[in-house]
Amino acid sequence: MSQTDHRMDRSVLIFSLWGVLGFLGLGLFLEGMQRDLWSVSAGGVALIVLAFVAHIIVNGVYDTGFSQGEAALGIGAYGLLGLVFVFSAIGGTMTMADYYAGLTLFGVLAAGFLAYLFTRHGLRGAFSRFHIKPMDKREERL
Amino acid sequence: MIWLPLYGLFYAIATLYWARIATRANGDYQTYFSAGHALAPWMSVLVIAGASLSGWALLAGSAEIGRNGFGLPALMQAGIALALPGVLFFKRIWLLGQRLRLSSLTELLRAYWGSEFLAAFSAVVAVIFAVAFAGLQLRALSGLAADLSGGMVSREIASVLLGLILVSYVVIGGMRAVGALGTVQAVLAASAVVVLAAFALVDAGGFAALNAGLARLAADPATAGRFLVAGVIQFTAGIGREAAAGHEGTALASLSFAMALMGVQASPMIMKVVLSTASPRGFAAGQTWVMAGAFGALVAFCMATVGAVALIDPAHGLGGLLAGLSPWFSAWLFIGLLAGVQLMAGLALLAAGEALVRHLYKPWFHSTLSRRDTVTLVRVAVGLGLLASLLMQALTPVALTLLASLALPLAFQLSIPLLGMTWLRWMTPPAVVTGVGFGIAGVLLTEPFGIAVLSFFGLDLPWGRNPWTIHSAAWGMAANLAVTLLVSAFTQRRGFGEEGQEARRFLFGLLGGNPRVRALRSTAWSVTLAWLFLALGPGLIFGNYAFADAEGHWVLGMPPIWGWSLMLWVAGVVLVWFLSYKMELASPVLVDVPAYEPRPKLPRRQGEAERERRRIALITLAIGFSLAVIAALSFGQA
Repeated sequence: MSQTDHRMDRSVLIFSLWGVLGFLGLGLFLEGMQRDLWSVSAGGVALIVLAFVAHIIVNGVYDTGFSQGEAALGIGAYGLLGLVFVFSAIGGTMTMADYYAGLTLFGVLAAGFLAYLFTRHGLRGAFSRFHIKPMDKREERL
Repeated sequence: MIWLPLYGLFYAIATLYWARIATRANGDYQTYFSAGHALAPWMSVLVIAGASLSGWALLAGSAEIGRNGFGLPALMQAGIALALPGVLFFKRIWLLGQRLRLSSLTELLRAYWGSEFLAAFSAVVAVIFAVAFAGLQLRALSGLAADLSGGMVSREIASVLLGLILVSYVVIGGMRAVGALGTVQAVLAASAVVVLAAFALVDAGGFAALNAGLARLAADPATAGRFLVAGVIQFTAGIGREAAAGHEGTALASLSFAMALMGVQASPMIMKVVLSTASPRGFAAGQTWVMAGAFGALVAFCMATVGAVALIDPAHGLGGLLAGLSPWFSAWLFIGLLAGVQLMAGLALLAAGEALVRHLYKPWFHSTLSRRDTVTLVRVAVGLGLLASLLMQALTPVALTLLASLALPLAFQLSIPLLGMTWLRWMTPPAVVTGVGFGIAGVLLTEPFGIAVLSFFGLDLPWGRNPWTIHSAAWGMAANLAVTLLVSAFTQRRGFGEEGQEARRFLFGLLGGNPRVRALRSTAWSVTLAWLFLALGPGLIFGNYAFADAEGHWVLGMPPIWGWSLMLWVAGVVLVWFLSYKMELASPVLVDVPAYEPRPKLPRRQGEAERERRRIALITLAIGFSLAVIAALSFGQA
């Protein structure tokens, strides 16, 4: 099987996972907020976490990590939803159940993201993923 | 209502993403038709199961149960009925395709049987699937989209939008896009079926409440027949001529409907996926665990649940259920349905476009057409096929329905040539060609399309649709099989062409037979016939009463015929496993298949002959059209 076919197989799996678990999780999360039921929203968060876990397993099977596009999309969506949450909280339109549901989502995702980085790259390695060294320091190592 | 357009946008972006990825992998046109025969086995398994079952099951299957109840148990055995032909054909057809380096059913029929008639017929079947069968489902989906949008989008606009999404990825990405995106679509569609059944159960107040509602219907003499199979057969003149006692759902109606379903697996679109698959390793697992097991369960339980909810309260059919959900859920479920229907429609359009251009137009009229131009023309044909479908959806929905109902029974007639190619070596080319011709006549004479056409020309048949409560697929097959047997008996000396002979030598040399399998042959026949008798045949009568006590109470807490169907679905999965693995009908063959090298021939100049063929085709068309008009004017009815 060619490298292209290999990449396509992985992408098909990722699309399928997020198309089902991600969107269903989002739906449950919103349903919980609409009905003021934290437990339903937490069920949605659990599905989203399950999608992440499945994504990491697929990455493991195909011996790869998150692609740049996936990372950008994930971090972008996280940031956008975070902004919506912060503005809604400031606007005072949220109930306590909404508030806890939001905190659960962002808290669990942030904790999960850090746990992923630390387990995959180690403490120092995880820091290095974001630490951009100045050009002269890089040249010193050469 | 922001969620439906938003999710629709996500879906459209995903399809275009896959179209782009696929076209880059294709090198634009080099592997457009068959994805370089590199479709992963697990993908082909999901695409075949999704295209065969998902969209149809939810749209048509649940509506049928919602309208007429459980009187047609073949619906609930769809997973097994579809797996059986797959077990029988897929491995051997794949081997033949590899040996002869062919990538579609039309090519295989031409190479093996040496018949242009069979090639043309398979192309016609592909077109009917693409334009009418898929068009009918897209039309139902467009109506659903219009309802969900609260009237913001009309059915016609929804049709066009859904059609544009569909045609974009098929035209750009070809088989690779259809295969890769089709896998995602199959997963989405299957998940949507499960979630919809869960919502239906919640809506009904749980499984016990659902069955309590069904029990109330069963206690009412006016609706009690919806939970019974109406006898083995009823000798009526058919729908539109004479109503059956109770309802049309007899045991033979179930058996013959299951035959129609089997037509999907013999259709050019499913064979396209089989022949584009990289290896036969997935066929056994695919037919056993995915088609019969997982998708079979979706049909036997989830589709039946959605239908049962609609049976109790018709307002809670598919549309009513979706409208009653939160907008994010109804939007996601709609996308799941859309994915299921577009998977089948995309595949059918590609198979039809390829059959028309690459397998009919090119060899008959324009053999010098380059590969790039062939792909371009196929893309145009795909677009035109969709346009025809959209126009029929909007302007002639009745004709669309009549044409769509021909797809399955006509495709089932291809089972005989496939049986001859893979198993029954004594069938001869003249017998198979004549048999299929009679099969087509049998179907047309018992389908509303044929009856309406004959009536237009002034010939009123004394029967209607499904005479004797038997589906046209079975009438066609009876004629097909009888003629094939008879003509084969008289034409045994007629030989095959060079490629046909090679295919027979190769297949029967490679799969000559293993003593262990031969010892199990009688067991296999016995259990298969027993299952067919009990699950689809006259044995269904037992299901009316098997799980009811003397007072008529339901022992399982559900309609006895539903319980019977679920029990026989489990038995069916075991049967498919036995046939696939123990009888080695679909088990993997781990041999390298070298390409067959035909004897070198002197190239012939085709230009003059092709010009002559074009002229004859045009004259034939003109004369045919004129004769039809004259006949209609002379004998036709207003």
